[in-house]
Amino acid sequence: MSEAASAAPLLNVRQLEVVYHDVATAIQGVSIEVAPGSIVAMIGSNGAGKTTTLRAVSGFLPAEDVAVTDGEILFAGQSLRGLLPHQISRRGVVLVPEREKLFHTLTVRENLDFSVTSRRYAIRNSVFDYFPRLAERQKQVAGYLSGGEKQMLAIGMALVCEPKLLLIDELSLGLAPIVTNEILEILRTINQSLGLTMLIVEQNVAAALRIASFGYVLENGRVVFKGEADRLLSHQDMREFYLGDGRTGSYRNIRQYTRKRRWWG
Amino acid sequence: MLPEPYQRAVIAIVVAVVLCLPVFSGDYFLHLMNLSLIAVIGAIGINLLTGYCGQLSLGQASFMAIGAFSTAILAQRYGMPFFVAIPASCCAGAAVGFLVGLPALRFRGIYLAITTLAMHYAIIYVLTNYQAIVGPSASAGITVPPPSIEGFKLTSERGWYYALLIAAAAVLMFSLNLARSYIGRAWVAIRDRDIAAETAGVNVPRYKLLAFTISAALAALAGSLGAYFTTVVTVEEYTLELAIIYLAMIIVGGMGSVVGSVFGAVFITLLPFAVQRAFDALPWHFGTGIFGVQEAAIGAAIIGFLLLEPDGLIEIYRRIATYFERWPFRYREIKPSGAR
Amino acid sequence: MELLVSILALGSTYALLAAGIVIIYKASRVINFAHGELAIVGAYVFHSAGFLTGTTLTALSLFTAIVVAATASALFGVVIYFALMRRLLGRPTFVAAMVTIGLAIILKAAIVVIWNSRSVGIPIGRQALYNFAGGGRISWIDVISVLTCAAAFAALAIFFQLTRLGRQFRGAAENPLLAAQRQVNINLILAIAWSVAVFSAALAGVLFGSRSMLSPQSTIIGLSGLTAALVGGLDSLRGAAIGGLLVAAATYLTARLISPTLAETVPFLILLIVMSWRPWGLFGTVEEINRV
Repeated sequence: MSEAASAAPLLNVRQLEVVYHDVATAIQGVSIEVAPGSIVAMIGSNGAGKTTTLRAVSGFLPAEDVAVTDGEILFAGQSLRGLLPHQISRRGVVLVPEREKLFHTLTVRENLDFSVTSRRYAIRNSVFDYFPRLAERQKQVAGYLSGGEKQMLAIGMALVCEPKLLLIDELSLGLAPIVTNEILEILRTINQSLGLTMLIVEQNVAAALRIASFGYVLENGRVVFKGEADRLLSHQDMREFYLGDGRTGSYRNIRQYTRKRRWWG
Repeated sequence: MLPEPYQRAVIAIVVAVVLCLPVFSGDYFLHLMNLSLIAVIGAIGINLLTGYCGQLSLGQASFMAIGAFSTAILAQRYGMPFFVAIPASCCAGAAVGFLVGLPALRFRGIYLAITTLAMHYAIIYVLTNYQAIVGPSASAGITVPPPSIEGFKLTSERGWYYALLIAAAAVLMFSLNLARSYIGRAWVAIRDRDIAAETAGVNVPRYKLLAFTISAALAALAGSLGAYFTTVVTVEEYTLELAIIYLAMIIVGGMGSVVGSVFGAVFITLLPFAVQRAFDALPWHFGTGIFGVQEAAIGAAIIGFLLLEPDGLIEIYRRIATYFERWPFRYREIKPSGAR
Repeated sequence: MELLVSILALGSTYALLAAGIVIIYKASRVINFAHGELAIVGAYVFHSAGFLTGTTLTALSLFTAIVVAATASALFGVVIYFALMRRLLGRPTFVAAMVTIGLAIILKAAIVVIWNSRSVGIPIGRQALYNFAGGGRISWIDVISVLTCAAAFAALAIFFQLTRLGRQFRGAAENPLLAAQRQVNINLILAIAWSVAVFSAALAGVLFGSRSMLSPQSTIIGLSGLTAALVGGLDSLRGAAIGGLLVAAATYLTARLISPTLAETVPFLILLIVMSWRPWGLFGTVEEINRV
């Protein structure tokens, strides 16, 4: 059995089903376990349902006429279904969304101070240690930061909320690879120093699997494969379809390319 | 248009009741019905603009005022017969609607409403000054002679009832067909997502202007008929409150539904009288406070329907109708052609 | 000089009204069409509380009136939010605006029913502070109006810029979902917004009632307040202050120099001009125009 299942999972999603506007099933039968202290990645192409899963866990869905119609979401043994976003957030499940991840009209300092209480000054200051670039730009209005700095600020804001589980949605979107890697390395540092559990959703599979210890592959709203990071990295189907393992041979072979994925291989 | 035999039966019964109504009711009730019928025309007008096309307009009262004043001027000062005055008033309303629609093209939602609000006040200001100049005194207004052909004057409630019934039925048929035509679909597309409508090939400015024009023409028609019915036209009755009352009619009846406009118009027109009857039955004496309660009832109707039944009375009707259609089953089978 | 003081006094009333409208719009993108009615009802409540025990305003009854009106308006704001506005979250904002129109109708009707449409005045500060040679004068109430308005704006500015709750308010105004995710209770923010707005409306109403007679028709000042808010920019408090002064100046100057009846239409004329030329107002954020 994989190492991830030995301790009781911090987040346990079982058979989750989400339906958009009563007509379109976004995800079905999705089961995800996140072991405490680990980094788990959810991988898949566009529309696979990764973002929907994260939003279902963090309680954002009812705002948009989207309903969780089946399944359980258990965080530290307690169900999160039906709770309001700020209640879920206060329990320790903090989401860094894909878009609209910070307050553009507030300054960097104000963004970080948004959720700060008297206990959290230490964490707020440590954000500047993790992301030195933010410390240089404290008084700058957040809307004028670069993409990478915005992502750093968004993660920093989430850290100030004292999360027990950090959910990060598509962190690499719109970022140069070098910046993505920089941020991912910082995330790994945070995970190791704070023991903070993370669930990250990524389209950039190689980058995600570098820091994650466990991964789930989603396609068309279902989990089609899961496993340890090394197993994913070496799996035949993963290499062909997600990691860009170049096929040898000329372009003429591509036209006849019909191999289906064999997840059980 | 009406595939099911029971639907045709229902329509036949409704038509029979409506036609025979004067036989069973006194003049007071008929007067209320006449007011409702005039309101129906105006309500259909505002529903086409706001309910179908999604252009939130607070200018309904000013368009009605244009119609009323045009009729008053043509009938009283120039002695035009009603079959000239009424169409001319509609044209005047249409022209003003077009002019109001032009600046309104730039805006959506609340800003659009505010623009129409400003235009309303501009129009009312002009008419107030006109009334002050022309009328015997500043607030006496203009009297309008009753419509007549060959010396036969339309003055009885019963006569008015049938005349207004014809007018309302004509407007109803016209609007129902309009709603089902390309124009109606274009309007709904604009309401739902005008950028997408434009991408789909709908000429958005043209159809928005068309909505303003037709809606204002219908409002002017209602104003014109109202002018003949009440035989006096004063600018003071065309207030912002009146525009809001018409919005209340379509909120209560169902925005985006021509038949709903009918329900809403009748409901809101009869509401103050129902409130008065209800309070007459109570032991306390309200005096002039009853006007306040009537006003409050309209406000409460707006809030109540928006909170509880945002799709209006027509939705309640549809729920009942589909329940009986499906009974004893719980859902309808889907026919291969997709028809209900 | 007297002209300036009168404009400032009137402008402070409009500015307070505009501020209330801006607070609600900033927090929830809803335009509150009932603001004028809320102001006048607040003034009537103040009047009734003050004259509850007698026919003159003593220091005690004035104090009672202030306390009663302040708590009643703040509470009423919370009630409006939880009873009405909260159920409309997630629906298009014009639905909420229509609900405020319905509320306006009910409030205006309440004045007719509860107070029998009586015209009343609030006789505080009518004594002259300074008399001019030409016959004009500055009353205490003019000075009180300006000072109160300035104090209110200062308090609001401090609240929004310097306090944690104010910061959360600004963030929640920009992105409610994100604020919710960052552990801010949106219901609390919106309830506070409505409470503060209704309180400021009542304050404006009382100041207005001290300088003019109150009647159900007085609710038309809501339109001037809305115009002031639009002129300044619906999401800008700074704009509310400037807009209030501008509308007051335009109205007053028109009444004095051209004709009093035309002065009634000044707010609408300003509305027309603002909508055609610069719909997002002087200080509003430009993208507002495209939001429904």
